Amino acid sequence: MALKVDSIVKKYGEYTAVDSLSFEITKPGVFALLGTNGAGKTTSIRIILGMLSADSGSVSWNGKSFLAAEQPIGYLAEERGLYPKYKIMDQLIYFCSLKGMKKQDAIKALDYWFERLNVTEYRDKRAEQLSKGNQQKIQLIAALAPNPELIILDEPLSGLDPVNAELFKTVIREEIKKNKFIIMSSHQMPTIEEFCSDIVIMNKGKTVINGNLNEIKKGYGRVKLTVKCEGDITSLADECRLNATEITPNGISYNVESEQQAHSLLNKIMEKGIPLIRYELREPTLNEIFIEKVGAENEN
Amino acid sequence: MKTKGWKKVFGFTFVQYIKTKSFIVGTIVMCLIVALLAAGANILPGLISGEEEVIGGDSQTEASTTNAVYIYDNCSILLDEDIAALEAMGLKIAQTELSVDEMIDKLINSENEAMVAVSELSSEGVVYGYNVKTYYSPDAEGKAVDYVTLSVQQLVNYRNMMNCGISPEDYAASQRYVTTSKIAAGNDEWNIFESAINYFVPIVVSLVLFLLIFVYGQTVAQSIATEKTSRVMELLLTSVRPLAVVIGKVLAMGLVSVLQFILVILVGVGAFVMTAPFGIGGEIMDMMNSAEPLIGEGAQIVEAIENTVGNIGAIEIILILVMFILGFLFFALIAALVGASVSRMEDLTAAMQPYSILGVVGLYLAYFPIIANVDSMETGAAAVNPVQIFSYFFPISSPFALPSALLLGTMDMAQVVIAVLILAVFVVLVAVLVAKVYEAIILHNGNRIKFSDMIKMAGRK
Repeated sequence: MALKVDSIVKKYGEYTAVDSLSFEITKPGVFALLGTNGAGKTTSIRIILGMLSADSGSVSWNGKSFLAAEQPIGYLAEERGLYPKYKIMDQLIYFCSLKGMKKQDAIKALDYWFERLNVTEYRDKRAEQLSKGNQQKIQLIAALAPNPELIILDEPLSGLDPVNAELFKTVIREEIKKNKFIIMSSHQMPTIEEFCSDIVIMNKGKTVINGNLNEIKKGYGRVKLTVKCEGDITSLADECRLNATEITPNGISYNVESEQQAHSLLNKIMEKGIPLIRYELREPTLNEIFIEKVGAENEN
Repeated sequence: MKTKGWKKVFGFTFVQYIKTKSFIVGTIVMCLIVALLAAGANILPGLISGEEEVIGGDSQTEASTTNAVYIYDNCSILLDEDIAALEAMGLKIAQTELSVDEMIDKLINSENEAMVAVSELSSEGVVYGYNVKTYYSPDAEGKAVDYVTLSVQQLVNYRNMMNCGISPEDYAASQRYVTTSKIAAGNDEWNIFESAINYFVPIVVSLVLFLLIFVYGQTVAQSIATEKTSRVMELLLTSVRPLAVVIGKVLAMGLVSVLQFILVILVGVGAFVMTAPFGIGGEIMDMMNSAEPLIGEGAQIVEAIENTVGNIGAIEIILILVMFILGFLFFALIAALVGASVSRMEDLTAAMQPYSILGVVGLYLAYFPIIANVDSMETGAAAVNPVQIFSYFFPISSPFALPSALLLGTMDMAQVVIAVLILAVFVVLVAVLVAKVYEAIILHNGNRIKFSDMIKMAGRK
């Protein structure tokens, strides 16, 4: 199974919301769709879901044109929505029935998810009686109860307390184990790094980075250096032509051009006999890549 | 298929709407009001006419409530037989030695008494009239005083005629009243009851249809705006196309409105039937079922009902239903667009203003020509005027105006078919517009989309 998004373009008058977005998900797992606010993520998701029609390009599932209304797909929207006045069970059965589930099957699946997400007590309450976090759980149930093969989660963890965020993460891991295809959009980069193998970073409708996260990181190399010493190393860094990018109680951070440049600083520290507490040379984090790429684009 | 899933939307919308408190309470209140109106329409006329009988004099109830009536005939016009006639009419005639002024003083403190002074009106020795002046105790009832005055006045009038040499038979003949009718050549003569039906039925039908079509259309807009602003729509659209949502909602609200209407009508009919034995309903039923030939008002009432009901056949009922469905679709589809054009519920009221104006203009076009045409109470031929004919064909007003025209038979079948076709064409045009722009506007967030923008969108598509 594979989801292929091929060169989709969406314009509103002169404004291009999505400019030739392409990516392919060929194996189960989590795919990240990243970008700043207004980058075109939600528009792209809506096009994938068939809510919006693209001006050009195509979306296919297993080689066939993708019609969200006819495919098993679960969607947790960024802006949550439930009928405030209707009972939770009634509306969830309705959502499941729209996905083609029979009532009895829907009730069985819903009962499982109520228990799994610890919200059984709310099944006969109205949505307006639930806290925001519990409403989010109900929305996740609406997305997962029909047992879809493709799941789109738009900011799934925003607004959740740490306990419930962990619960959501566990559920997502369980879905990955079930070989589900998941597209996740989030501004929480650590979460994305935790789950995602492949990413697309969008900025102003355009694709800035597209590919496997590990390979992208490898492409950058180990260019992030953090050093913490019990003495001043400013002059030594200057000798190595290193400018501090961040100074925190945990150390001084530098962008290095090569691993050799980092090692030369280490050698100088050792030669001077300055006590070394921390020396870390690593690949950039997704957050750093994101800020570098999107920040640079926005400055241009 | 763009409409796949509409049945599920329809079922859910219907079931959830009839479970809402606002619907349940609203329906109960409407049923109560209609039951009271139906029972009142049945019973009140009987009560009112009953009171009129008492005042008119057949009953002695009001007259006998006056403890004593003193007659001061200053011009000696009344004879002993006239006083006896007054007593026969229920007045308690009493004798007194008191002067008029003394009697007036006495009445101030007496209980429920009256004094009638009859005098001549003359000028230069020539009598040109009589005056009947009634003084009464402060606690005397107005109706009783009126009855006393009217009785004496009628007798003075009668005696004056006799004194002028007119025989009792001629006097009786002179009291015959004259009615008028104006009938346009070629039309049947309408009786007053038929005229009343022809006048009031279009008004009532227009108002009822306005409530059903327009108010429930508003509910469609509110429902769609709620789904859009609460973001439920995004979840729905992963399973069904926007057009399926619109169709499901419009049809569900249409069914709700029809069922609520039928329920309210059944309650009204039930209340009328249950109270019929106590009011005019029973009398009318007796008249309609009577084997004896009817004369007078009874015959007119039965004729009026039969003429109106006689116009309603299977074709008329089907056409009325078609008109209702088309009218509902016309307004509900427009309302759906309005509901989809807003991103915040607080914008809905402003967005609904053009829709409201459209509906109210339609109602007034159907309603005011009837109100202005009060002459139709006298002559059925004047019941249709040019504005009214326009309202039958104009799609904004035809859903409110045409059904009553069908009920009353004021249009021929060819005209009705043309009017239905015109409305159907406009419904199709609105449906095409909805199909073209709804998918684009339902996910739009931000400022409200204006109608002109929608037309441009439709053009772009």
